[in-house]
Amino acid sequence: MAKVLETTGMVCPFPLVEAKEAIADMAKGEELIINFDCTQATESIPRWAATEGHEITEFEQIDDAKWRIIVKKGK
Amino acid sequence: MLQMIVLGIICGLLLGFVLQRGRFCVVGAYRDLILAKDGRMFLATFVVIAIQSIGVYALNGTGVIQFGNDGFPWLGTIVGGFIFGIGMVLAGGCATGTWYRAGEGMIGSWVALFGYMLGAAMTKYGVWKVAGDNLLSYRTNDTYIHETLNVSPWVLVIIVTLLVGILVIRELRKPKLPIFKMKPKKTGLAHILFEKRWHPFVTALLVGLIAIMAWPLSAMTGRMFGLGITAPSANILTFLITGDDALIDWGTFLVVGIFLGSFIAAKGSGEFRWRLPDMKTLRNNAIGGVTMGFGASVAGGCTIGNGLVNSALFAWQGWIAIVFFLLGTWVATYFTIIRKQKQAAAASKAA
Repeated sequence: MAKVLETTGMVCPFPLVEAKEAIADMAKGEELIINFDCTQATESIPRWAATEGHEITEFEQIDDAKWRIIVKKGK
Repeated sequence: MLQMIVLGIICGLLLGFVLQRGRFCVVGAYRDLILAKDGRMFLATFVVIAIQSIGVYALNGTGVIQFGNDGFPWLGTIVGGFIFGIGMVLAGGCATGTWYRAGEGMIGSWVALFGYMLGAAMTKYGVWKVAGDNLLSYRTNDTYIHETLNVSPWVLVIIVTLLVGILVIRELRKPKLPIFKMKPKKTGLAHILFEKRWHPFVTALLVGLIAIMAWPLSAMTGRMFGLGITAPSANILTFLITGDDALIDWGTFLVVGIFLGSFIAAKGSGEFRWRLPDMKTLRNNAIGGVTMGFGASVAGGCTIGNGLVNSALFAWQGWIAIVFFLLGTWVATYFTIIRKQKQAAAASKAA
C-alpha cells in the first residue's frame, strides 16, 4: 500500500522537506505518492530523487498547476 | 512616456517569462547552499553576474551608459542585507521572485508583494525614513572594489569570468543524474517555451543578457541604471496613493512587465492557478514582505539590484550585500526549517 503525501497549498521548499521526512520512515521498495502544486518542486523533487537513488515510477501534471509524482524508495 | 512604457514592459516581459520557465529563484539558490548542500543555483547567480559584468563594462567603455559614484553606504548594506535575507525566506521568495510568483497565481506572494511595497515605501518616504536615512549616511569614499584596489575594472571582470567559467565547466562535467522527465505533450517551439525544463545555466545566460539590455533601454528614458525592483515597487504604491506621476519611470513598467511575463509563461504552460497557502504561511509572507521592503531600501537594492546588478559593476555595496543576504537567509532557514528537521530526527530516534 503506497503512502500518500498531500502537500497541495504548500510553497517551496516545504513539499520537498515533507517528502524527505515521509520517506525516512518507509521501507525500501515502498512507494510515496506526492501531490503538490508548487511549480519549483517540479524541478526539485525529481532532482532530489535522482540524487538519493529513489526511483520515480510516475510523474504527471494532473491539472493546471497540480502535479502527482510517485517515488519508490531506493535505499 | 510611450517609449518608457514600451521599453520597460518589453524588458520586464522577457525577464518574467524567463524567470518563471527557468524556475529561477534567488532565495532557493541561497537557501539550498545549506539546506540541500547544493551550490548549482548559487553558481547560476554568478553566471548572471559574470555575463552582465562583461556587457555593462563594454557599454560603459563606449560611453552608452555611466555608473554612479556616491560611496558605499556600508552600515545600511550590512544591516539591510541581513534583514532582507531573513525577510525573503519568510516571504517565500525574493523581491523579484515575489513579483513573478504573483503572476503564477500564488496568493501568498500577493500578500508578500503588498508588504514589500509598503515596507519599501515606508522606508523611502514614510515613518521609517529617519531610520533608513540614518543607516545610509555612513559611507566610505570608494564606491567600487577596483577603485579601492586601484586597478581597471576589467581585471575583476576577467578574474570573475574565468572563475565562474571553470566552476561551470566542472559542474557540467559531473556525471549526469538520471532525472525523470514528464512525457512531453507539446512539440517544437511550444515544447521549448512552455514545457521543457531549462538548464539553470541557460536560464542564467538569458537573465544576464536581459540584465545587460536593461541598461541602454532604461538609459534611453533617462534612468541610468539596470534592473531594479525595490524603488519601482515602493513608487507604484506611493503613486497610487498620492497620484504623483513623477514617481513613474522605466522601472515601474519593468516590474509590471515581470508580472505579466510570468503570467503569460505560467498560463501558456498550464501552471497558472490561484493558490492559497495556510494561515501560518500567509502570516509569514506578510511579515517577510514588509521586512524585505525595509531591508532592500536600506541595503540599496534587493537580490537583483544589489545581488546581480551592483555586484556586476563591482560595487562594494553589491558584494557585501550578497554576504549579508546569505547570512540572513541561513539564519532564517535554520529557525524555520533546519531546527525542526533536527528535532523531528531526534524525536524519531528516541521513539
